[in-house]
Amino acid sequence: MDSKAKNESYLIVDIDDSLTKAALIDNVSGDYKITGISQVPTTVDPPTLDVTVGVEKAAKDLGQKTGKQLWEAKRPSKAQRFLCSSNTGGGLYMMVAGVIGMISAESAQRAALGAGALLIDVFSLSDRRPDFEMIETMRSMKPDMFLLAGGIDGGAVNQVLDMAHLVSAADVKPRFGSQFQLPVIFAGNIEARKRVVDKLSEKKYAVQAVDNVRPAIERENLGPAKEAIYDSFRQHVIIHSPGYEKLATWVDEPLVPSQAAIGNILYSYSMERQANLLAVDVGGATTDIYSVYNGVFNRSLNADIGLTYGISNIMKMAGIEKIMRWIPKEMAEREVRNIIGNMMVLQPTSLTPDEVLVQQAAAREAIRLAVENHKGFASRLKGIRVVRTVADIFGQTLEPTYLDLMKTRVVMGRGKIFTQNQISDAAIVLLDALQPEGVTEMMVDRLDVMPHLGTLLKTNPDAAKQILQREALSRLATCVAFRGRSANGQIAMKVKITRRDGATSGYEVPFGELKTVALGNGEKAMLEVVPRRGLDVGMGRGRKLETEVIGGKLGLILDARGRPLNVPAEKEVLVRWKNSLAMGQQLSS
Amino acid sequence: MEELTRNGAATLVMKGFEMSQMEENRIERDTGIRKIRRISAQGQVLVKTGDLVRPETVVARGTVANPNVQKVIIYSQLGIDPDEVERYMLKEEGDEVKKGEVIAIHRSFFGRSTRICRSPIDGTIESFSKSSGSVLIRGMPIAVEVKAHLPGKVVETIPGEGAVIECRGNLIRGRFGVGGETIGELVIVAARRDESLTNELVTKELKGKIIVGGSLVTIDALRRAASLGVNGIVVGGLDQKDLTDFLGYEIGLGVTGKEETGLTVILTEGFGPHPMEEETFHLLKSCEGKQASIDGSTQIRTRMLRPEVIIPS
Repeated sequence: MDSKAKNESYLIVDIDDSLTKAALIDNVSGDYKITGISQVPTTVDPPTLDVTVGVEKAAKDLGQKTGKQLWEAKRPSKAQRFLCSSNTGGGLYMMVAGVIGMISAESAQRAALGAGALLIDVFSLSDRRPDFEMIETMRSMKPDMFLLAGGIDGGAVNQVLDMAHLVSAADVKPRFGSQFQLPVIFAGNIEARKRVVDKLSEKKYAVQAVDNVRPAIERENLGPAKEAIYDSFRQHVIIHSPGYEKLATWVDEPLVPSQAAIGNILYSYSMERQANLLAVDVGGATTDIYSVYNGVFNRSLNADIGLTYGISNIMKMAGIEKIMRWIPKEMAEREVRNIIGNMMVLQPTSLTPDEVLVQQAAAREAIRLAVENHKGFASRLKGIRVVRTVADIFGQTLEPTYLDLMKTRVVMGRGKIFTQNQISDAAIVLLDALQPEGVTEMMVDRLDVMPHLGTLLKTNPDAAKQILQREALSRLATCVAFRGRSANGQIAMKVKITRRDGATSGYEVPFGELKTVALGNGEKAMLEVVPRRGLDVGMGRGRKLETEVIGGKLGLILDARGRPLNVPAEKEVLVRWKNSLAMGQQLSS
Repeated sequence: MEELTRNGAATLVMKGFEMSQMEENRIERDTGIRKIRRISAQGQVLVKTGDLVRPETVVARGTVANPNVQKVIIYSQLGIDPDEVERYMLKEEGDEVKKGEVIAIHRSFFGRSTRICRSPIDGTIESFSKSSGSVLIRGMPIAVEVKAHLPGKVVETIPGEGAVIECRGNLIRGRFGVGGETIGELVIVAARRDESLTNELVTKELKGKIIVGGSLVTIDALRRAASLGVNGIVVGGLDQKDLTDFLGYEIGLGVTGKEETGLTVILTEGFGPHPMEEETFHLLKSCEGKQASIDGSTQIRTRMLRPEVIIPS
């Protein structure tokens, strides 16, 4: 951090479709802290039609709360650096295309999702849809931007031109108005670049060519494509939303998509801690999954799976019975369906107790579906010829996905489902949905400031990281769980905890139970776990694990329900599990 | 204003469909109603400013691109390399072709061997790819038209696209609907706003009508109404399970209007049994016997389009 940055304070605003949220970050006695947060309704829609009106309200409101002059001369005060991220209009709608679905198109998807896009479709020459169907889809679903990849450098040219030909024939119009040019980024075979650009420019696309996302079959290069997406986002997309042109003149750093900011701060956190991380962001309309495994970042997005607008889609995709199995009381299917239908239609701001239970049940399925989808992204590059050895037959070295919950140190939850209910409710949703294995720290973004911190990261990385760890993340608990199953009631793991003062305590947890142990938030202790024969807490079946653990607001969770988790038909068991965590909250408070 | 496309025709609705505003203004009595009626392509406008129109009056007619696009790989049919195809093409981009018409021909060995490539459909050569030696042929354009949907006066025409129709009347916005635009005489079949709309209340005389129920329409009543040719149902609620059974599939997203059930259903309150709001029920009751124009189209996410019942004065 340079000396100039040390004394700066920051007004950071994140704008989504419903809320404009401002956070003030100040240097207080050498430490950066959030000194105030304010949120007001977003004003991008009629009747206001000017996003800066909401920004002004949020800044003035925050100024009143903090006693600072944050608004001067009809713009944010220059006493603070002004940064902004945005996700209005439902996000950055992108289509991507490549030559082969599992190779270039998949790399293009990773680039688009990593840049915070909402992917509306993926096309490739290996697509099962006939060309005319792809063309019609391109035409009917107006994106904000198109990313075209295909061919390794020096590889296929004709196929890349064929794909460009399809994109050209489709004459795709942008979402923000058919009189504008749709930004198309070409990030494919460098040898096809000129011809692709010529072909696409004919149709009046705003074409930009950047380095190949897949320059070689065994290598991905997503950075240039992501930067081009950010540039196009600022130059072609966001300026079409009312007020953004003015907003762009106020910011001290270029505007970034909110999801990109979230991805950046999560990646930075994972790298800082040298820990694998899996984060879920469950919104009203979408569910995002972010992961960092061994330094490789991935984001996937399940558009139209969410807890208000997208909740019926969860029911459609998972099935009503999958949702009902998580509800800890008897409810008729009709009642559950009506609740789900009304959440989609009415999007209520306050919920009845039954609605909360249904929403929490749906959240588990939303996350499960989204994580399944994420596994396909968080995988080794496809198309590479892998030489198998005898060791591979017995080992896990060729697992199709990086995502391994036994190797995941941190799981995080974002979204109202994790912040508006009891901490124990947030924890049980995260536990049931992700089913962490081994020793896993569970956290939630309680202040909902990850977009702000991700935006700050580029300007003042130390401040962003400091605030994330000290203020933004709320540590729920550390969970200890094993892979495998046993008979109900049999002692599944023996646990010994040695605290800093030398005090020890021991626990025997029967299979099928969930238990909490008081351990102060942030308090460290040594943990010794001996699983029953056949069960694995990360060291191999039946083998002892010794490690340091950190307590959270619920202390330590000993999850002896086994993996994969069987959801019991008896509702009283679900109630018992729920109560176990609520007990942890009481013990630790 | 927002532009919303439904069934090939475009409708422009005034702002006020945003949820919070909608909740405040679910009912507008004796208000000026303007609807922009236009086709989703350039065509011919059949009305002029000042014309009086009926709901079934065709406002504009035109054609839209046919979604049927066929790729014809010419080089393989002619037995040549892709980059040679251009020399043997008989048609260019933009040319119309008939099914079976020869679009490329290759003669070799002094005319002794001739290979031809024919169009598989009636249509137009959309594009030609030199690199892959293939063409895309799009089917003939499809005719589309948009009707006035409500009786009123043409206050403005949109060149080549449609017109703005204005009338006075009562407007009721529901919360969720299925099925598109339809018209019919309003018939109140539930005696009270909290009475269910059951099978027995749906009689043969209701064919072509828009019927108003109370708190909940049952699946049997829905099916009977559809089979008897009832045009629309306006009711407080409907069990989500019954809607799924009626449609034969689960509605995933709140985007509706294209359901092909032949029956438009508008829920004024939501899913499950909900007595219709008193004001809504009384307004509908006071309009019994009048013609209503209804539309079940719903888009919940960002555009917040809600289904509507218009009862022109």
